[in-house]
Amino acid sequence: MEGEGSAMEKNPKISAYYQTRLAHFGVVSSEWLAQAQSATNPIPSSSTNTYPDNESNFSVIDEFNRWRNHPDLAEAVAAIRALAAVISSSKASTMMQLEIELKNASDSLKAWDTTSISLTAASDLFMRYVTRTSALEFEDFHSAKSRLIERADKFGEISYKARKIIAMLSQDFIFDGCTILVHGFSRVVFEVLKLAAHNKKRFRVFCTEGRPDRSGLRLSNELAKLDVPVKLVIDSAVAYTMDEVNMVLVGADGVVESGGIINMMGTYQIALVANSMNKPVYVAAESYKFARHYPLDQKDLAPALRPVDFGVPIPSKVEVECSARDYTPPQYLTLLFTDLGVLTPSVVSDELIQLYL
Amino acid sequence: MPDVHSLVNDFVNQLKKRKIEGSQATAKQAAELLRSVISQQRVPQTNQATALINAVRAVGEKLIAANPVELAVGNIVRRVLHIIREEDLSLATAAIAGLELSPGSDDEDDVERDDYPVLSAAAVAAAARSTLRPPSLQTLLEDTPISAANPHTSSSGGDSEGKSRSVDKSSRGRKLKHDVIEAVNELIQDISTCYEQIAEQAVEHIHQNEVILTLGSSKTVLEFLCAAKEKKRSFKVFVAEGAPRYQGHLLAKELASRGLQTTVITDSAVFAMISRVNMVIVGAHAVMANGGIIAPVGLNMVALAAERHAVPFVVLAGSHKLCPLYPHNPEVLLNELRSPSELLDFGEFSDCMDSASGGGSLHVVNPTFDYVPPKLVSLFITDTGGHNPSYMYRLIADYYSADDLVVKRRPATGS
Repeated sequence: MEGEGSAMEKNPKISAYYQTRLAHFGVVSSEWLAQAQSATNPIPSSSTNTYPDNESNFSVIDEFNRWRNHPDLAEAVAAIRALAAVISSSKASTMMQLEIELKNASDSLKAWDTTSISLTAASDLFMRYVTRTSALEFEDFHSAKSRLIERADKFGEISYKARKIIAMLSQDFIFDGCTILVHGFSRVVFEVLKLAAHNKKRFRVFCTEGRPDRSGLRLSNELAKLDVPVKLVIDSAVAYTMDEVNMVLVGADGVVESGGIINMMGTYQIALVANSMNKPVYVAAESYKFARHYPLDQKDLAPALRPVDFGVPIPSKVEVECSARDYTPPQYLTLLFTDLGVLTPSVVSDELIQLYL
Repeated sequence: MPDVHSLVNDFVNQLKKRKIEGSQATAKQAAELLRSVISQQRVPQTNQATALINAVRAVGEKLIAANPVELAVGNIVRRVLHIIREEDLSLATAAIAGLELSPGSDDEDDVERDDYPVLSAAAVAAAARSTLRPPSLQTLLEDTPISAANPHTSSSGGDSEGKSRSVDKSSRGRKLKHDVIEAVNELIQDISTCYEQIAEQAVEHIHQNEVILTLGSSKTVLEFLCAAKEKKRSFKVFVAEGAPRYQGHLLAKELASRGLQTTVITDSAVFAMISRVNMVIVGAHAVMANGGIIAPVGLNMVALAAERHAVPFVVLAGSHKLCPLYPHNPEVLLNELRSPSELLDFGEFSDCMDSASGGGSLHVVNPTFDYVPPKLVSLFITDTGGHNPSYMYRLIADYYSADDLVVKRRPATGS
């Protein structure tokens, strides 16, 4: 695991975020993975050492990578845990010093993987908490420091609880006899469906294959274990099957300020098809994925690339679209299920403004 | 209290038999009933707020179950619960402020950081205030866990009680009840004056020589149009009759008697006339949390016609119609089927009706409500001003506390 982690670290051309998702949820043959890894020529990393950390040889990125390797841990949690480690290893003696150190650490974290929205969002959220929370004002430096660490430790729980809350809130929307189309593998979506199955709801799930990492196969596999009727659908058959579908349920890598979502490639397409057939599109996403981006179109995002396997060798003259994600504008989304409640897309900007203004 | 019991049972019976209908009437009655429940409720020395909340909740459950389609009742129950929480909180913060002045009193039991009694008391108050706020990104990392409901409220009730012990407890108990009743009175006042406040905004929306279309009858719409007329606006009104109850006829009569130029059309003529219309103004039965509305049957059709011709579709709704629930399957769950006698004359059709005795195959379905999705609504005009459908959630967050939505609904759907 460690060796693989450092391999990822050394290739800035490939989105580390999607590489992790692939490792955790993807269904990919091992020989292809080996081939892909040998094909990507390692370039020495430049980002790791640009920001001086502490005098000690503690690196926030190593810390982050250590946390990130847990498949159950969201990337946001890993980021906050890593920042908490910065606090606990810090030798700063004033709040201001600590803030500067944290700022450097979070900047280097964000720079390390610019493609991960939840990493950016969680770092921003934590920084905001440190600089703004009124509860800290009343205390001396040391108790404030220990409180920050304690809150960061609790954050793992918050993220776990968030999934439970979302699952609970969305139960009313899943009615008996409905057919749900899901795209790719999302832990929140799986939690929602798991609870629905547990509540003895009768529903059917269509899983898209989710090329190229084929994470939909993983989801269909998990659902079949729960005895939920599930049907695999290739990504291009979404429009074909849409008339049987009652609702679309997707997760999100990030929820942006417009209320739109950034998610695995293909989500935009599904939302468009669903919208044209008047089917509701629901998004299940934890609130710490709310990010301060405002993409105007698809190309507005930093490209998150990943290798695509076509099964046959591709001539070098042929270009391949390797982007791993797309942006779905808010007008195609019906409701967002978050741990803050069931929200319309326009609420997202309201929440972000309240926090960051 | 046999008195309150009989009042509650009366109201429940009226609701069940559909003797009392219309969101304003039911909302007002429900508020008055809850007021007498509160005033007759004997409050214990400790946990007064919890006692009141439990009493209101017990009655509220019955009322909601009596007619689940009359959403205004549930809204009022939640509003009153929210009022109790708010008043309790403001008293608790006042008590803390009192404590800061008298540092001699010992209240370390509920405060974690004993070294800074004054400041930590302020922190406790801030935390308590945040319990009433809906969960938000801001509070995500803060101490108060986002898990909704019971342990939380009881604990906050607990420590406010702890404080009151050191202050004069008996007066506080009376004060809470008094404040709550005062606030409920204000709520009742608001419900009965919401027409006027909505009507005040009429001149901003209706312009000279415009043509307005409405369907059925709504007191709010009547007042709204008349308010514009009083301000010397001259405009025409098309009234779709609103089959099968034909309440549009009554509205047309009333409008004509007040000197407005009124035209009655059939419901089926709406699409034919919509191209001449500048604005559709209608009332609603309830406004849901996503900005969709439950409205008299036929309005979805009007909304679609308006959308087709890009005519603004404006909904007038008093704040008691704001419902914090999401419409799950609204066509079935939030609808009511009325008697077929409104559609057909039983004498004429009795032989072909599909009833237990006869062998006919004629079915009659007479639904009361339509669900109009939020994307078809251009504007809501409430007593607090004009709002976009997507903004409804914010009003809801102001009027209701998050705890009550979940807690109330579960028993209601379970029964």
